[in-house]
Amino acid sequence: MSGTLVSVDALALLPALAPAAGAVLVLVVDALAPRAGLLARLLGFAGLVAGLVGVVLPLTSGTRIAQSLCTPAPEGRCFYDTGTAGLLLQVGALVAGIVVLLLLRDHDTEDSPTPFGLSGDPRKPTDTELATMSSSGLSGDPINQRGPGQRGGVGVTTALVLTTVAGATTVAAAVDLGTWLVALELATLPGIALVALRGTERAAHGAMSLLTTALLSAAVTVVGAALWLVATHDVTFSPVAAAAAWANTPTRPALILAVVLLLAGLGFKLSAVPFHQWTPQAYAGSSVSVAALLATVSKIAAVAGLIAVLRAVVGLAGPSGHPHQLALVVAVLAVVTMTLGNVVALRQDDVVRLLAWSTIAQAGWVLLPLAALSDAGLRSAATYVVAYAVASLVAFAVVPFVGTQLAAYGGLLRRHPLLGGVLVLGLVSLAGLPPGILGLVAKVVALRAVMDGGLWPLALVAVANAVLGIAVYLRWVAVLFGDPAPDADPLVSRRGGRVGLALAAMLLIVTSVVPQLVLGLLA
Amino acid sequence: MGLLLAVVAVPALAAPLGLLAARSRSAARAVAVGGLGIALVLAAYALLTRSDPADLVSTFPAIDTGDLRIPLQLQGTGPALLIAAVVALVGLAVQVYSVVYLADDDRYAVFAATVSLFTAAMLLVVLSSDLVLTLVGWEVMGWCSYLLIGHWSRREGPRRAAHKAFIVTRVADIGFVLGVVILAAGAGSTAYDKVLAYWTQGSADRTLLSLALVLLVIGVLGKSAQIPFQDWLPDAMEGPTPASALIHAATMVAAGTFVLAQLFPILVLSTPARVVLAVSTALTMVLSAITAFGQSDLKRLLAWSTVSQVAVMLSALASAPASVGSGPGVLHLYAHAFFKALLFLTIGWLGVAAGGTSAKAVRGVGRRSELLRVAFLFGLLALAGLPFVVGGVSKEAVIAAAHEGAQAGDPAAWVVFAALLLTVVLTAAYAARAYLVVSAPTGERDGATSADDPAPSVPVGVSTVLAVLLGGTVFGGLVLLTDLLGVNGGVDLPILVLTVVLALVGALLAWRLSSSPDQVRRSQAVRVDPAERLLGSRMAMFDNGFGIDRVYRVLVASPVIALAGLVAAADDSIVDATGRVAARGVTWLGRTSHTRHEAERPATGLVWVGAAVVVIGAVGVLAWR
Repeated sequence: MSGTLVSVDALALLPALAPAAGAVLVLVVDALAPRAGLLARLLGFAGLVAGLVGVVLPLTSGTRIAQSLCTPAPEGRCFYDTGTAGLLLQVGALVAGIVVLLLLRDHDTEDSPTPFGLSGDPRKPTDTELATMSSSGLSGDPINQRGPGQRGGVGVTTALVLTTVAGATTVAAAVDLGTWLVALELATLPGIALVALRGTERAAHGAMSLLTTALLSAAVTVVGAALWLVATHDVTFSPVAAAAAWANTPTRPALILAVVLLLAGLGFKLSAVPFHQWTPQAYAGSSVSVAALLATVSKIAAVAGLIAVLRAVVGLAGPSGHPHQLALVVAVLAVVTMTLGNVVALRQDDVVRLLAWSTIAQAGWVLLPLAALSDAGLRSAATYVVAYAVASLVAFAVVPFVGTQLAAYGGLLRRHPLLGGVLVLGLVSLAGLPPGILGLVAKVVALRAVMDGGLWPLALVAVANAVLGIAVYLRWVAVLFGDPAPDADPLVSRRGGRVGLALAAMLLIVTSVVPQLVLGLLA
Repeated sequence: MGLLLAVVAVPALAAPLGLLAARSRSAARAVAVGGLGIALVLAAYALLTRSDPADLVSTFPAIDTGDLRIPLQLQGTGPALLIAAVVALVGLAVQVYSVVYLADDDRYAVFAATVSLFTAAMLLVVLSSDLVLTLVGWEVMGWCSYLLIGHWSRREGPRRAAHKAFIVTRVADIGFVLGVVILAAGAGSTAYDKVLAYWTQGSADRTLLSLALVLLVIGVLGKSAQIPFQDWLPDAMEGPTPASALIHAATMVAAGTFVLAQLFPILVLSTPARVVLAVSTALTMVLSAITAFGQSDLKRLLAWSTVSQVAVMLSALASAPASVGSGPGVLHLYAHAFFKALLFLTIGWLGVAAGGTSAKAVRGVGRRSELLRVAFLFGLLALAGLPFVVGGVSKEAVIAAAHEGAQAGDPAAWVVFAALLLTVVLTAAYAARAYLVVSAPTGERDGATSADDPAPSVPVGVSTVLAVLLGGTVFGGLVLLTDLLGVNGGVDLPILVLTVVLALVGALLAWRLSSSPDQVRRSQAVRVDPAERLLGSRMAMFDNGFGIDRVYRVLVASPVIALAGLVAAADDSIVDATGRVAARGVTWLGRTSHTRHEAERPATGLVWVGAAVVVIGAVGVLAWR
């Protein structure tokens, strides 16, 4: 390889390339054979699974950091570097993408297309679905309680999901500013299209809200990236360049402002307060599957982006060992975000909105360990967001079966113990209570990073918020244990939903029994 | 030597096995009787083949916590194996008797399983050479006694009696546990030999030792129903008669005697503990003997006599000088096991025949069954302490020990000695009264049954049990020919004469009182209940134990409940209120924030973002400095 300019490890690139290639293939198939929905969907799954193989294969051989696109030694640096946490985030994004694709299957409008602009059009069940319903013990009203499904056809939705995932996996390994910016937008913009494609007025509102906020935030991010370039004279998030800029008095403020603006831009993607406004609107306006995508893959992409930035500034020593201003900004963001998220979530009667506000609260928890500005803190944030993603996927996957009103969940444990039990596990994981060991471990790991950083006040606020969070999720769990509402709608059977839910639940159970699986992916 | 382990383990395993076999009454019966039968055989075999000095047998792996070593071992010393054999014998007798006695009870299997577990726990206490194992057996007995007394829990009376027994003994157990902790903490081991070795050495802190032993004695007083804890035991008569026989004769009530006997070498070193024990037992033996005399129910009379007799055993430990040792106390425990089991099982069957155990109901029943009458007579003779029967032998040993202690100048021993002599008179009086009632001429019975009633049928199981226990009562004194208890068989003649004379005085008093004041009826040799003649309507006062129950409630229960109420109120108005205020605050915050977010227009998001950028700009400017 001595002669080549850049060495390419194709396998390492697979997690980023396979979903992207899959998206392109799906679009090609959709253009050539618009009726071949099944093929498009299979191609989509193939792209995600191939990406997963690209992550898991190096992992099995003991590698914990994937690098590619490296310039030759001795000056060598790699432009594709997952760092210590990237592989875990890539796995999370790919798996979440698979589950979302499974859930989306039930939103297909291929069979019964409805004109754009009409809302609340009930969907007729197919014969196969009716058969599944009777065989699975779920019965009754086949009307889709979440309103009309996804428009645009299988090909388009699948391609959009794949693009989002490709964005997320790329951000997790992006080193240079250009790739980072493009990948970040790649992980965001398809989401806006997916929300809008539901085709209802609320969806349009949600998409509009998402779009405007995204635009403004993108602008802030780009300015931040530009300032970074000005401060460090480097097009990559390089610790060496950042340290040089920090040491140099004239460039230090520019560096701080750059990082703060980048944080602000990412705060939007993470739904951190005060950039959270779009979250409940977009979640409630979109179909549940798309909401699940926004809540998981997009969040993972945002955390990956944050880690890429903070990785470069972690080593900078402040006046007393810490770069204080940055830690303060992150800590304030974390506290305000988790508090407001929990407090408002406590008042929600629509479960999708509840999950939206819970996403905001959890974003605060993701930010929390980052305030320690340590390597351990970065890894904790990655652990937390993946644990959160797995648990929320379970919660989102249950919603299509039951409905969006909290009251509809009354007595679910007795009406359908399996569904109810899985939901309880997901919710207690989000709350961080046993038996949701995964959530508990994630919270402990996050708090430990904060304590190791000596940020005691922050840890105390976080603990108070953990208590609030327990109230939020137990409020829902209590409904599950309660009596069924007399006018409760019957449960709806969904084939793709069932597979997706089973996959998510299995992941949650396995990672709850062996949380080392998640922790072990970190170097 | 796994033999010792099996003695405890077999009845302990018989308990769950019996519950599993509860579906089939015959299987439950076989497990219950078989379990204790095997235990008896094993205990007897161990007694015959014992080695001297006895080996230590491990039960579970020793627990070594650094500062404290808990070896969890058993030791089959001579006295321990003897008592274990008697416990197993009484347990077996109770099991066989229960088969008949509880033939119609739908919860027989549960009862039998509890009896097995209870006996196993007592065997554990007896054979233990480790304070922790003793404590385990001690607590299991407390729990089993609760279950047995409350066996007929569908009725209010047994439920209350069970709760009372449990709560009173548990309160006293606080002292027992603390005493064990102090003893073990000092010695750094819970093994009896290590504890004794540590505390008998000159450098040990005698004040601490006294504190530990006083606490331990309090626990023993509670379990043995001594003043001030005495009131639970007569109430425990609400349980089935076999359960009473077990609790009174060989297990729980007497367990404290054996534990203190094992700790005797350090007990003699602590004057305060001995004084507490002596005062309590002296008071108890006299007062409860008086109370026993006035009972209108013969089963309750026996219960009070147990309280009195256990006081006699414990008083031997409180008054015997070190040279005499714990032998007399253990000997009386051994004797009491035989004659008290005999008395309870006899009165139980008399009660079955007469339809109740009140003095009125059982009046004259003895006339109708020779076996029951003879069994009752010998039981009472032993109780009264007449020579040659087992109770006489042991009581004489206890009195001789107290006398020796008194002669050595121990004031506590003088108190005990005086109380013992008084108790001999009183015991003989109430024993004579019980016999007079049971054997009264049938023509004078006020009950519905007439003199022509057929003799009560005594099933083979019951008669065998009574015969065995009768044999033990009559010939049990022969144990002195062995050297098992370290009591010499020599007779202290003056003491013997004194006790016999005193006992005869007591019996004669009762006899005199029983002759009817009515001239005509006296000529017909009609006898009245001496207690009724002496006390008349005041017997009700004796029946309720002089209102001690109320004293318990006023002095202990009410203050505790009041304190609990206070704590609950404080918890609600201070601790919980904090939580409620916080919850209300969060709810308000949630509502307000929710309202602020209700206007879901895309533009509002932009306002937020704009504001945020300004704030972040400000932070940047601050950082610029």
